[in-house]
Amino acid sequence: MQVKQYLIRRLALLPLIMLGVSVIVFTLTRFTGSPVGIYATPNMTPDEVAALEERYGLDEPIPVQYAYWLGGLLRGDLGWSGVSVAPVTDVIGLKMAATLELALFAALVAIIGGIALGTIAGVRRNKAPDHAARFFSILGASTPTFWFGLLLLIPFYLWLDWFPLGRSTPEIFDSIGHPTGLYTVDAAISLNPTAIWDSIRHIILPAVVLGFGSMAIIVRMMRSSMVETMSEEYVDAARAKGLPEKLVIKRHARRNALVPTATVIGLSFGFLLQGAVAVELIFRWPGLGQWVTGAILSGDQATIMAYVLVTSLIFMLVNLAVDIAYAYLDRRVVLGS
Amino acid sequence: MMNSDDWLLRVEDLSVHFRTPRGVVQAVDHVSFEVKPKETLALVGETGCGKSVTARSIMKLVPEPPGEYASGAVLLRNLKTGAVTDMLSAPMDQVRATRGDRIAMIFQDPGKALNPSLTIGRQLAEVFGEHRAAMLLTQAGIDPEKGPIGSGSIASQRAGVLRRNFFHLTRRGHSRAIRAAVDDAVMSALSDTGIPNPRKVMSSYPHELSGGMKQRVMIAQALACDPDLLIADEPTTALDVTIQARILDLINDMQQRRGTAILYITHDLSLVRQFADRLAVMYAGRIVESGPALEVLKSPQHPYTQGLLAAIPRAGTPRGKLAAIAGSVPQLIDPPAQCHFSSRCTWCAEACTSHIPKLIHMPGDRDVACLRFEQADSIGVDPSDMPSHVASAEVVS
Ligand SMILES: Nc1ncnc2c1ncn2[C@@H]1O[C@H](COP(=O)(O)OP(=O)(O)OP(=O)(O)O)[C@@H](O)[C@H]1O
Ligand code: SF4
Ligand SMILES: [Mg+2]
Repeated sequence: MQVKQYLIRRLALLPLIMLGVSVIVFTLTRFTGSPVGIYATPNMTPDEVAALEERYGLDEPIPVQYAYWLGGLLRGDLGWSGVSVAPVTDVIGLKMAATLELALFAALVAIIGGIALGTIAGVRRNKAPDHAARFFSILGASTPTFWFGLLLLIPFYLWLDWFPLGRSTPEIFDSIGHPTGLYTVDAAISLNPTAIWDSIRHIILPAVVLGFGSMAIIVRMMRSSMVETMSEEYVDAARAKGLPEKLVIKRHARRNALVPTATVIGLSFGFLLQGAVAVELIFRWPGLGQWVTGAILSGDQATIMAYVLVTSLIFMLVNLAVDIAYAYLDRRVVLGS
Repeated sequence: MMNSDDWLLRVEDLSVHFRTPRGVVQAVDHVSFEVKPKETLALVGETGCGKSVTARSIMKLVPEPPGEYASGAVLLRNLKTGAVTDMLSAPMDQVRATRGDRIAMIFQDPGKALNPSLTIGRQLAEVFGEHRAAMLLTQAGIDPEKGPIGSGSIASQRAGVLRRNFFHLTRRGHSRAIRAAVDDAVMSALSDTGIPNPRKVMSSYPHELSGGMKQRVMIAQALACDPDLLIADEPTTALDVTIQARILDLINDMQQRRGTAILYITHDLSLVRQFADRLAVMYAGRIVESGPALEVLKSPQHPYTQGLLAAIPRAGTPRGKLAAIAGSVPQLIDPPAQCHFSSRCTWCAEACTSHIPKLIHMPGDRDVACLRFEQADSIGVDPSDMPSHVASAEVVS
C-alpha cells in the first residue's frame, strides 16, 4: 500500500522533471547554432535560407521557439528527423525498442553474471574463484566498450562467422508480427524457430559487450557486500539453526547483500544507455545510439533533442524501479522519507 | 567425575587456533569440561579469553579458515540412546542435524543475530522446516512418506527433497494445511516465551521489535526443538538493565520447565551465584579453575579466581563485573610455555615461567591449574623454585 502511494507521487512528479529537462535540452541545443541546415540545401541563396528560417519560426527569440517546440511536443510532434528523412515520432518508437531490447539483454547479462560471480567470489574469499572474479572485474571496468566489441568481432564475426552484424535478417524480421517491438520477444511469441534463432544470434554479442562493463561493477559490489554479510552474526545464527550451507548463503547472506547491489544496478543502467552508443555503431544495431550519432554529425537538432528526452525518461523510470526494489529488499527503508 | 555416565556434553582437550597475519592465535588451549543433563555450567573470564570460541566450537561454528580445531573432541551424548557424537569429526550432515535440534544457541546481541530482511515467523519456521518437517506434514494431514511431491522415489530421498522444498511448498499455497501447521508451531514457540502478541510478532521484521522482544524471539527460536543443551553467550549484555533480569528469569524458567542444560557465558559473577550449578573460570584460552559454583565462589583456589573475587566490591549490591586485576591479559599469539597468569600472579616463582600447569583434581569435584597444587618432583624441578602452597583464601561475600 505504501509502495503504491509512493509510486503515484513519483509518477506525478515525472512530468515536472521532464519539463525541466526539456528546457535545458532545448536551450543547450539551440546554443550550438540554428537547425536550419537540415532543411536547407547547399545551393540556396542567403535570402532563401532566411525565408526558410522565417517559415519555421527560427528567427524568433529562443523562448518563443521553445514554446513552439513544446507545443509540438505536447501534440506529439517532435519535428523532422533529417537523418531518417521522416518525422521523429515515426522512427523513435523503432529506435527505442531496438535500444531497449539491447540494454535489457545487456542488463540481464550484467545482473545475472554479476550477482552469480560476486556471490561466489564473496563466499570463497581469497580462493581461486575470488581471484578469477576480481581479475575479470578489473578487466571489465578498464576495457573500453568499443575496443572489447572489436576484439570479439574479429574472431566470432570475421574468422568464424558465428554471429552476424545488425539486429536481424530482414526477410526473417519481416516474416513475423511485431506486437512488442522487441525482436526476441516477438520471435518467441510467433513460435517461429527461425526467427527465434535469428534474434538470439544477433543480440548475443552486442549484449555481452555492452553488459560486460556493468557486470564488472556489479561483481565488485556484490563481492564486497557478500564478504560483509557472510561475517554477520545472523549468518552464524542461521547455521546454528542447522540450515544447509547453501540455504544459509542464499536466503541469509545473499539476500541481504543484494541491498547495496541494487543501487549499483540502477546506476549501471545509465551506463548501459551510454555504452549503447558505441556498441550500436560497432554492431550496426539500428537503435537510438546509432541514430543520435548520425544526428550529431549532421546537426539534426530535432533528433538530438528527442534522444535526450527519451533517454532521460528511461533513466528516471529505471531509478524508480530500483527504489522500489530497494524497499522490497531492505525492510527498514521507508519510501519517500 | 570423568567416569560417570551421567553427562550430556564432554569437551576434551579442545584447542582452537586462528591463523592471522601476525601469527597463530591460540584462542582455546587444551580445554576440557563437562556439562551434565539439566545443569547450568557458567563459563567466566575476561574479554578475549576464548569463551565465545569455546562456545562456537561446540556447534562447530568456528570459521575455518582462519580458525582451526587443533586438537580435541566435543562429545555430545544422546540421552535416550546413549550414542555419542563427536561434533568435530562427525560428517557435516550429522552436525547440521544436531544444530538447532539438540544444541541451540542464543547470541549476545539479538539485533545482530536476526536476519533484517526476513519476518520473525519465517525465521522461526526455518527451524521447524529443518528439523520437524515430517511431524508438521503429519499434523497437516499429509503423509510425509508419500508427500505432495511426486511419487515413486525412495523415502529417504524424498525426505531430503521435502526439506529443501518445504517453504516453496507453503509459499506456492500448495498446501494451506502445511502453512497452518507451521504457523501453529511458530505461534506456540513464541507464546511459550511470554511474547504477548505472537501473531503480530510473527509478521514483524526484527527492526520493528524492541531489544528485549528480539531476545525473547531468539530464545523461542533456540528452544523451538527442545534442545538438550542451550548455549547462552552473554545473552543480556546488549540489553537494558531493566530487561536483563526479565530475560534471565525467562531462561531460568524455561530451563526449569524443560530440563534443558545450559552453558552460560558471562562476565557477571553475581549472576553465576544466582543461576549456575557449576563454574569454570577461563584465562587466556585455558580453564584455570572449575567446580561447584558456590564452592568455587566461597573458596577460590587459583590466584586468578581469587583476584577476580577480591575485585568485586564487598559492600552494597552484590552486582559485580569482572573488575581489573593489576597487569593485562597476555598475548595469545605464540605464547611462551609458562603459566599464562605468571606475569600478574603474586605467587609466581621460577617454575611458573617454565611450566604450564595442568588441571589437578581436588576433593569436592574441583579442578585447579596452578603449580602451587603440583608436586615439584612430578614436574621435575627444584622444590625451591616452586610457588609455595598456602591454604586457600576464603572469600566470603
Ligand atoms: N575469526 C577470528 N579470527 C582471528 N582471531 C579470532 C577470531 N575469533 C576470535 N579470535 C580471537 O580469539 C580470542 C578469543 O576470542 P573470544 O571471542 O572467544 O573471546 P571472549 O572470551 O568471548 O571475549 P568477550 O568476553 O569479549 O566476548 C581473541 O583473542 C580473539 O582475538
Ligand atoms: S602456576 Fe604460578 S604463576 Fe601460575 S597461577 Fe599458579 S602460582 Fe601463579
Ligand atoms: Mg564472547
